[in-house]
Amino acid sequence: MKKYLLRRALFALGTLIGVSMIIFVVLRVLPGDPLVAILGVEGHARMMPADKARIMADLGLSDPLAIQYLRWLRDIVTGDLGKSFFRGDTVRDLILHRGPISAEIALLALVVSWIVGLPAGIASAVKPNGWLDAVARVVSIVFIAVPGFWLGLLIVLALLFWFGYKAPIIIVHVWENPWQNFQQVIGPAVVLGLAQGAYISRMSRSCLLEVIREDYVRTARAKGADEKVIVLRHALPNALLPVITISGVLLGFVLGGSVAVEQAFGVPGLGRALVIAIIERDIIVVQNLVLLYAAIFVVVNVLVDLSYAWLDPRIRY
Amino acid sequence: MSPDSVAAVAEVPAAPSGSSVTRELLLFARRNPLAVAGALVGFAIILVAIFAPVIAPRDPLKANFARMNKAPDAQAYFGTDQVGRDTLSRVIYGARTSLFVAFSAVLLGTTTGSLWGVACGYLGGRFDLVSQRVMEVMQAFPDLILAMAISMAIGTGLPAVIVAIAITRIPFGGRVIRSVALSVREMQYVEAGRASGASAMRIMTLHVLPQCVAPYLVLATTHLGVAIVIEAALGFLGVGVPPPTPTWGNMLADAITNLVPWWWLVFFPGAAITVTVLAFNLLGDGIRDTLDPRLSPAFLRMMTGGRRG
Repeated sequence: MKKYLLRRALFALGTLIGVSMIIFVVLRVLPGDPLVAILGVEGHARMMPADKARIMADLGLSDPLAIQYLRWLRDIVTGDLGKSFFRGDTVRDLILHRGPISAEIALLALVVSWIVGLPAGIASAVKPNGWLDAVARVVSIVFIAVPGFWLGLLIVLALLFWFGYKAPIIIVHVWENPWQNFQQVIGPAVVLGLAQGAYISRMSRSCLLEVIREDYVRTARAKGADEKVIVLRHALPNALLPVITISGVLLGFVLGGSVAVEQAFGVPGLGRALVIAIIERDIIVVQNLVLLYAAIFVVVNVLVDLSYAWLDPRIRY
Repeated sequence: MSPDSVAAVAEVPAAPSGSSVTRELLLFARRNPLAVAGALVGFAIILVAIFAPVIAPRDPLKANFARMNKAPDAQAYFGTDQVGRDTLSRVIYGARTSLFVAFSAVLLGTTTGSLWGVACGYLGGRFDLVSQRVMEVMQAFPDLILAMAISMAIGTGLPAVIVAIAITRIPFGGRVIRSVALSVREMQYVEAGRASGASAMRIMTLHVLPQCVAPYLVLATTHLGVAIVIEAALGFLGVGVPPPTPTWGNMLADAITNLVPWWWLVFFPGAAITVTVLAFNLLGDGIRDTLDPRLSPAFLRMMTGGRRG
């Protein structure tokens, strides 16, 4: 087990180093001069070449690429992630300030998806092709197709139109004012959670249907166990493993989707910061935030893999 | 694939008669009414996109300052925007951009990925090992975020958006098709080809590739919906196809520049995205259900027009 753990961790580390290389290369080969992005076309044209060179050197952009890359790796290890081109704040402060709200949204979305998806999947599987199953399947097909950011916009619009309500627009952390914080995160969490819930209900339905066909479930039935006990105590635990996996995979969808959904709800989370940085071509901020999103995705999927061994006693590494 | 299904495939004549394809299409339709509905709606949307100049009631770019921010009425069924452009016409032209981007991106990305997957599965060895690692790294990025970063790096025009979305599709194609190629590699006729001295290139293109067509089509249909959503999200976030070209995404971005957005400017473009994605997803689901859990020979025949292996 320890050996497997180590191997899996090294593997993930390798993936992340690959990720960082891709980010670095993609962001350094961009055709535009970063100075044009910072100063604007006119400002750039009016500036003396010597001044340009000085600014490039100040930003650390005139060193060889290999040096720049190694310096970035060093910065990651030391936790000093550099500064935004445009604002004085460091990337670390940005993450610490805006990260918690995005993390809350992602976690809450996960909770919503299980609360909505699992019961729907169970209800579908208990009476396959019944009316409840039909409803659950249609609803899940629709929620998979609806883009989260559009659903978000509609919700914001409806609340504004009918109730004149708007969630707080500046960051309110949960430790400052839990109620205002809740208003800020619940919308994005529900929208993201519903879409994931649709996948969860599909997955749990098909897994449960498969498990219910197994011999040991028939044995339980033959012994006259209550149907509720059979499904919830005997079948469900064995059907959950793939559902947990898909939940990990879906996290990528939540992380990506949250960027657009945060924009729709006007939540000033990390996703908004990433969008702004991309539009402003703020390379230092973009490279660190993209790496952060990828790192979270990779780490969570490692944790999902490891949870297998813990949940299923048959699996031992 | 079991021996008898291979036999069934072998019985098919080289040139398919029209009637047998029709029969199998009808069979498919009876089993998957939703998929057929999806196909019809998707087809209708494609037609709308192609014939946009004929169908659209007005010029999507022409401002009309006499009629700004009008709610839907008899003159403009979907209302007008901040500068009086007709929303219905913009939604229709938006279909053009969205579908063009989605089809190109999937064609480019899924095809690249699939060819790569065939090579990985057939060649194996170190090439496969390295390729798998590379695809793993690509899949470590959330889709939208990778697409955003790439389109930032190469500019925000139409080609940049297509390439950005295409790159996010590559590993999906690669992984699925690789597994198909892996199983095909072990089949006897491939072995026979190897024994008679055919080159790896020849076996891959003539013997392995045709087997990958059906799973490729499933993949492509499924990923069309994903590509449309990514395109719309990029447009919505301001890093997609730039205005004034109307896309469903940038129309939504436009709509929320107002402090209190008009409902019709939000509702219609988003509804267009939803309906389109729903249509392609239903079609993809239907095709996949037919192929899963086992690739049914009847369907494979239909998809590849009877010529196999």
